Amino acid sequence: MDPTASSNPSSNPSSKARADAAPSLIGQRVKKPDAPDKATGKTRYINDMVLPQMLIGKVLFAGRPHARIVRIDTTAARALPGVHAVLTGADAAGLKFGFVRDNVALKDRVRCEHDEVAAVAAESEDIAARALALIEVEYEDLPGVFTPEAGARDDAPQIHDNFPGNRSLRFEFKHGDLAAAEAGSDFIVDNVFRPHHVTHCCMGTSCAIADFDHNGKLTIWTQTQYPYNYKMDLAPALGIGPGDIRVIQPPVGGAFGSKLDVYPYEPIAALLAKKTGRPVKVLYTRGEEFKASPTRQAAIIHMRTGCTREGTLTFRSADVLLDNGAYTSWGPTIPVIMMRTTSGHYRVPVVDFKAQAIYTNNPYAGSFRGYGNVQTTWATAQQMDMLADLIGMEPLDFHLKNAQLSGEVTPQKSYLRECALVECLQTAAAASDYSRKRRAYAAARTQPGRFKKGIGLASSIHNAGGAKIHKSDGIGTILKVDDYARVTVITGASEIGQGIDAVITLIVAEELGVPTEHVTLVNNDSDIAPWDVGVHASRTTFIAGNGARRAALKAKAQILAGAEKLLGEPAAGLALRGGAVVRAQDGKEIIKLERLLRQMHFQAEPELVMVTDYYEPKSEPEGASHVSDHSAAYAHAVHVAEITVDTLTGEIKVDKVTVAQDVGRVINRMGLEGQIEGGLAIGLGYALSEDMRIEEGRLKNACFRDYKLITAPEMPPVEMHFIESMCAEGPYGAKGISELPTIVIAPAVANALANATGVRIFDPPMSPEKVARAIFEQGLPGASQPEAAARESATV
Amino acid sequence: MSPKTEIRFKLNGRELQLEVPVTMKTLDLLRERLGLTGTKYACGEGECGACTVQVDGKTVNSCLMYAVDLDGRELLTIEGLRTPQALHPVQQAFVDHGAVQCGFCMPGMIMQANYLIENQPGLTREQAKRGLEGNLCRCTGYTKVLDAVESVVQSKA
Amino acid sequence: MTTGTVQKYLAPTRLEPALAALALPGGATVLAGGTDLAPQTEAGTRRYAAQLLNIRRIEGLAGIRDEGQAIRLGATTTVSEIRQSALMAQVAPALVQAAERFASEQIRNAATVGGNLCNASPASDLSPPLLVLDAEVELCSWRGNAQHTRRLPLAQFFLAPGRTLKEPDELLTAVVFARPGAGFVSRFRKAGPRPALEISTVSLALGARLQGGRLQQVRVALGSVAPTPLRARRAEAALEGRALDEAAIAAAVAAAAEDARPIDDVRASAWYRGHLVRVFMEEVLHDVAEN
Repeated sequence: MDPTASSNPSSNPSSKARADAAPSLIGQRVKKPDAPDKATGKTRYINDMVLPQMLIGKVLFAGRPHARIVRIDTTAARALPGVHAVLTGADAAGLKFGFVRDNVALKDRVRCEHDEVAAVAAESEDIAARALALIEVEYEDLPGVFTPEAGARDDAPQIHDNFPGNRSLRFEFKHGDLAAAEAGSDFIVDNVFRPHHVTHCCMGTSCAIADFDHNGKLTIWTQTQYPYNYKMDLAPALGIGPGDIRVIQPPVGGAFGSKLDVYPYEPIAALLAKKTGRPVKVLYTRGEEFKASPTRQAAIIHMRTGCTREGTLTFRSADVLLDNGAYTSWGPTIPVIMMRTTSGHYRVPVVDFKAQAIYTNNPYAGSFRGYGNVQTTWATAQQMDMLADLIGMEPLDFHLKNAQLSGEVTPQKSYLRECALVECLQTAAAASDYSRKRRAYAAARTQPGRFKKGIGLASSIHNAGGAKIHKSDGIGTILKVDDYARVTVITGASEIGQGIDAVITLIVAEELGVPTEHVTLVNNDSDIAPWDVGVHASRTTFIAGNGARRAALKAKAQILAGAEKLLGEPAAGLALRGGAVVRAQDGKEIIKLERLLRQMHFQAEPELVMVTDYYEPKSEPEGASHVSDHSAAYAHAVHVAEITVDTLTGEIKVDKVTVAQDVGRVINRMGLEGQIEGGLAIGLGYALSEDMRIEEGRLKNACFRDYKLITAPEMPPVEMHFIESMCAEGPYGAKGISELPTIVIAPAVANALANATGVRIFDPPMSPEKVARAIFEQGLPGASQPEAAARESATV
Repeated sequence: MSPKTEIRFKLNGRELQLEVPVTMKTLDLLRERLGLTGTKYACGEGECGACTVQVDGKTVNSCLMYAVDLDGRELLTIEGLRTPQALHPVQQAFVDHGAVQCGFCMPGMIMQANYLIENQPGLTREQAKRGLEGNLCRCTGYTKVLDAVESVVQSKA
Repeated sequence: MTTGTVQKYLAPTRLEPALAALALPGGATVLAGGTDLAPQTEAGTRRYAAQLLNIRRIEGLAGIRDEGQAIRLGATTTVSEIRQSALMAQVAPALVQAAERFASEQIRNAATVGGNLCNASPASDLSPPLLVLDAEVELCSWRGNAQHTRRLPLAQFFLAPGRTLKEPDELLTAVVFARPGAGFVSRFRKAGPRPALEISTVSLALGARLQGGRLQQVRVALGSVAPTPLRARRAEAALEGRALDEAAIAAAVAAAAEDARPIDDVRASAWYRGHLVRVFMEEVLHDVAEN
């Protein structure tokens, strides 16, 4: 697609003027501005920070899943020299926070293994640790609930007083006549999938530093991804007003969605700071990180998909049971996105979705890159593959037949204005020689041979321009240009390593014609920067990029108007390029930009270039009925995974992944590649090796030795094809991109495994042991076929 | 509280003499005592490589190395790689190839990459993958790290 | 956290002061690479004695020596040194393979063979290849005003996870094995998609003399399928003196499965471990037969 041939004039207004100009930065490989400091060890992450007079805070975790606290005695701990404060549940009584106000910073009752029962502030980590050991707690263990099925039973122990029957959130969406659609289906696949608990494993462990000033205003240094609504969510945990909270975001060692909510260690740091009158830093060890940070939402998905014998999808239904865990964070809200996949992944005329979350005494889930779509696509993409074989149709043809086209609207009213699913399918399949290999490998299944090759294709659809689940999905941007043509962009957007700093810098430099090194980004202090709803829903390039572009264009308009006034040249004929004001048609330099700015400043009526912008994407609020165009854009990706399976050890080696993703428009090519490679690695870990072993509410593998992240030798080569659908609403046509790589890879590998061995695994990860066992049992007499898996109702 | 002992060692080329508690680890010496926070704590158990430093020319996990064992030896940390004028070629390659995202694992990754490149002329991409197995990264998928390593190896060839 | 308190630190350059320290009441905690000592004391699963004894600087304790009929690995030889040794590649390729698959490069540069053996983990990767070499450990002590040295077969050395026959006042000073004769073949196999960082689910080593298509002096050792690394005696018996045909291989596979006593734990089930023992036994035997 030729970017300059966009039919929408607003997407690239200066394209004509650029005919003989300096090359555009859009689509280039732009270096991340903070990379040199990070590569030299100079960057001070929040984990590295030390403030004057700072104390160290440590948390005493319950270490048991369900209990009454009979007695807690902190006398000895308080008496230890170097200890400045010891807090217990009494100090946080009534200060409820959380999406449904079911949490407090320090507990008076234990509902999960990592419940915080006390906290200490001391002069060193060593003293704080010794003080924790001196706190005496007497527990009365209570019977625990460790599965949602168990939690739903009438006789189950009640975990929260306000949530009878342990019932947490419930979601539903229906469209069309399900009974009629089932009757009209020639083939139906019916399976239960159990996407599991995994965790973010940010390399920088959780950390917060809190300090109150003399006016009672709290400054909190935090790893939050959503600094503004964070104030609103943190305030009730402390009994203060959101306006009295200043949020500072130092550089962080990853987030991936884990920092989209308030977690108890943060108000604990603040409560300790309040009590001691000193700054307090709480920093988790890796063991604490594994046990006490949020997980990805685990679910039991009973999914049915039907189609006609000609290969047209007839319906898709999903009955979802969620393990809410002990408290409600962003985990149990994933059905909002799960239903979008259920109704929007391919053209589905009839949809029936319901989800119920049940409280248990397990760790609880937050938000994690892919947010519900990882779990749902694991099911939908496998069922698409299974249906193709049932009908006897080439999978690619089956996918293409049901792929939406630009302009279609899903049953939930997601408007697929620019839809490139067909192109992604064709590109990925052609580049990988998918269809021919799939047939060849399937035929080779019955041949002797220990190692089997397989190829699998999966796709998905995801938000690519935010998701209007809050009152606003917008962003504020403030921009100034000084007397030396140096630009400062003050944006609400958070940089969490994903590279929004490079994107914004690039966009502003592009529009104002200045070098990227002359653009400074300020984005980490809520007292300074304007509001943004946060990093999630693949929204940041789209929304912050648009915000930055709009602000830059306002500044440009002001500058060119100033040029017209001072130089007598019509603004319409001017452009900004190479640090100068130039004549648009031939690029002839008229005046250096910094000189013009000084003239504008020091004239009789002085003018400084300072602009503001608030950008609200044209999406619709989610709404209680879940029928709305809730994102400003949607995008698709297709992955083709090629694997070699050792049928004896069960080890899967991913030999290659071919990716075709609708990115709208490439802005920072290098950053885009990096996000796809990194997102894919997280998805591969989900697919193959990561698994939180939670037994009776206790995490058994709280260390990297036993919780296995993908390592360098395990990462396959990735061939990437960027499809530029030129999103009219996106900056230069760009769409959000970072979650799809995590979402699509796992079912692609599952489909490849089925192709190689005939074995399907519905419960990730596809660990060597599981694969070996499934292959072994498949060879036993009486083994059942995967498609006819026993139907297990997960309805509650 | 463990007793202290005096050690004398070279840190990033400069002689240093100080007293350390006998059970203190090199990682804590660097971060808490010497204010060199470039070397990171990410697991404390030798499983992630974020704390990688070089001792007498060999990389080790500083979270496992007793500081007392630095006596008479040479320690190189991430802060010691660059010159005042320029980034070390490995650091520059990481920047140029987009290998840095959140960057938290990068000091350890760069120390290990540098060690591999220096000690194995003609290092292949496969050898580099094996050599970096003990450095976990959650952001990048390692691809551009390996691209950066390859580019440095090629520039030396 | 009960780590114990160190009161004295020593880093001698000669063996005698080290042995003298170990001979004192309460003994000493030995420090070499620290790759097991550090995490275990941090986690509180191991306590420090009153003395912390750094043996890394003791002359004669480091390095690999070719003594003609025997090969001597000094206790503080690092896993990297084993991996990079041309001599080891020649006489003990299975040990080199195990070294290549040991943890990570950073750990290999610090971890020592003495430390790995004294840690006595059931998953000790160096143990199976050393067992099939009929290695012995050399233990020194200072008793009654004299230095005592004794040797023990490694096959007897391990008692239980974390426990060996080494007395508290003894220092493991070397691992020694006879130079394998002509016709000696060895293999090593370890499970896991990660080449090295995988903590061992199952490892297997084979050593034998291959003559005229028959295996003599067969040694089979297994890791991670019992409380200690062990010799698979039934598998050895099933192969001893036999031609390496399909029947012998099948018998050895069945026997190895009986030798293994795997458990269910967070890393793997007993079923899978037993399954891998069978897979590896068959794989290495076929590999020997075909080459």
